[in-house]
Amino acid sequence: MALIEARQLSKHFRVGQRGGLLRRLRDQPSGGRDVAAVTDISFTVEPGEMVAYIGPNGAGKSTTIKMLTGILVPSSGQANVAGLVPWQQRTTLASRIGVVFGQRTQLWWDLPLHESFRLLQHIYRIPTDRYRENLAQLTAVLDLAPFLDRPVRQLSLGQRMRGDLAAAILHEPPILYLDEPTIGLDVVAKERIRTFLQERNQQQGTTILLTTHDMADISRLCERMLIIDHGKLLYDGRVSAISEYYGGQRRLIVDLADDVADPVVPGAHLERREGSRLWLSFRRDETTAPALIATLTARYPIRDLTLEEPDIEAVVRRIYEEGLPGDATAPTGAPMVAP
Amino acid sequence: MDKLRLYRLLLAARLRSQLQYRVSFALEATSSFTTPFVELIAILILFRTFPNLGGWTAGEVVFLYGLATTSLAVAEMLSSGIDQTSDLIREGNFDRILIRPVNPLLQVLATDFQLRKIGRLMQGGVALTLAQLLITPHWTLLKGLVFFSALCSTVLVFCTIFLIGAAICFWTIDRSEIQNVFVYGGTEIASNPLNIYDQRLQALFLYLIPIGLTVFYPALYILGKPDPLMLPPFMPFLAPVVALLFLSLGLLIWEFGLRHYQGTGS
Repeated sequence: MALIEARQLSKHFRVGQRGGLLRRLRDQPSGGRDVAAVTDISFTVEPGEMVAYIGPNGAGKSTTIKMLTGILVPSSGQANVAGLVPWQQRTTLASRIGVVFGQRTQLWWDLPLHESFRLLQHIYRIPTDRYRENLAQLTAVLDLAPFLDRPVRQLSLGQRMRGDLAAAILHEPPILYLDEPTIGLDVVAKERIRTFLQERNQQQGTTILLTTHDMADISRLCERMLIIDHGKLLYDGRVSAISEYYGGQRRLIVDLADDVADPVVPGAHLERREGSRLWLSFRRDETTAPALIATLTARYPIRDLTLEEPDIEAVVRRIYEEGLPGDATAPTGAPMVAP
Repeated sequence: MDKLRLYRLLLAARLRSQLQYRVSFALEATSSFTTPFVELIAILILFRTFPNLGGWTAGEVVFLYGLATTSLAVAEMLSSGIDQTSDLIREGNFDRILIRPVNPLLQVLATDFQLRKIGRLMQGGVALTLAQLLITPHWTLLKGLVFFSALCSTVLVFCTIFLIGAAICFWTIDRSEIQNVFVYGGTEIASNPLNIYDQRLQALFLYLIPIGLTVFYPALYILGKPDPLMLPPFMPFLAPVVALLFLSLGLLIWEFGLRHYQGTGS
């Protein structure tokens, strides 16, 4: 049975109404206009899955997550999370989910980090021995010890995010919603968070739904992704399927030892050239990287080379811009599901 | 009991946060202690010129003022968190409250406790003591009970007004000032004998926003004065019932608002 299930979820917001209560009440029936944030979203997530939920700003990612946590009541449609209807059984659901909103903290700003954890222990009613055990484990894995005694406002963004992750996991929720958990972090800090999430997913079997703008998060962590734009689900399928479809094109960047007047490489297309550096693109189904490199080294002296894997970001950008192949023939709102 | 403990824990955390900014706390506490004193002195000066107001002496009016002010101070302290609802919503922190397995109202209540309102509380205490010296009412056990229930009821009524004001923020997001009109206007009304006001104003503060009922009628009974409005004799004892009804209405509006919460951005 699916752990998370969304069926034709839609959420409309009424906008364009400012001003006092009286004006709002008076204008309510006619004034303002409805803006669809999310339209007819359907998907399921099985226990133990780690799914990326991506889309441009304002696509409806956060709105979907807020409906699945029970924060927002949808305008129409149904959802079931861990056997509960989120907005009807929000308080019960709350102890079974962990939520990180990357843009804001749920820690107590002016208090030392460990005090936030202690308060959360009481909020989630975690038995003391369990709490000690979990905190010790999270402190070790996320390396929290150096700043446990520091007020949250003095933490670096990376430290704060680790603190927030620990706070969301302290009560051992089987489901984790992460809304941009790596936003604004440097490479090292991002990597640390990714490793942690991967371990959590593999070892505890935690189901994770993750929104992000960082394509490295997706390629590193998720096998499946949902793409949403303008409130509609565009794609639901394997990450690799879509990157193969669009990213059959790989790229080899070569630094030649000498300038060659007109380099010719069979099986590859010369995309660009700057001095002795060449950008060669080739299709996975036409040739392999080793074959191409062999051809190259036989012909020219080579100083260095780099192989670029298909860039998911570029792929997603293309989907945003061009839509999916065959999308026009699909019934509106029905997501293309990759094999 | 469990909830009360959590409320205490969360509040303690809030107070520790506040104490990180000691100077600001000290300044606010001082100003809140001095400002209301001016009001009390104003009443006494007024009565040097006019011996009575609608049949009430200086001591009796000071008693009304003391009862209303003490209740207001307690309500302001209890509702400090409720008054933050608009900020919580606007800054997106209300989401955080909704993802926790604890009643949102309890969490909102626990987000703040303005200890600095203790100035107003002392002010109310001073007024009640002064009234006691000026009029020396004859206290009985029943009068004591009526006094206590009037105090609690008025606190509840004020808290409910704050609650309704906060619930309105679920639609408007902006802090609505409407509750302040009724809270501070209501305190002003309740600090004077109800019979000096226009009939419509009387009805408003007796039946719609029952501050008049929870302050004026219990005071009539305690001071042993006849009812100038000629209402039924059980009026002084209605305060707790009316306060609880009013609170239920407030809670309904709050719950209704909560379902209309739309959140802010991402």
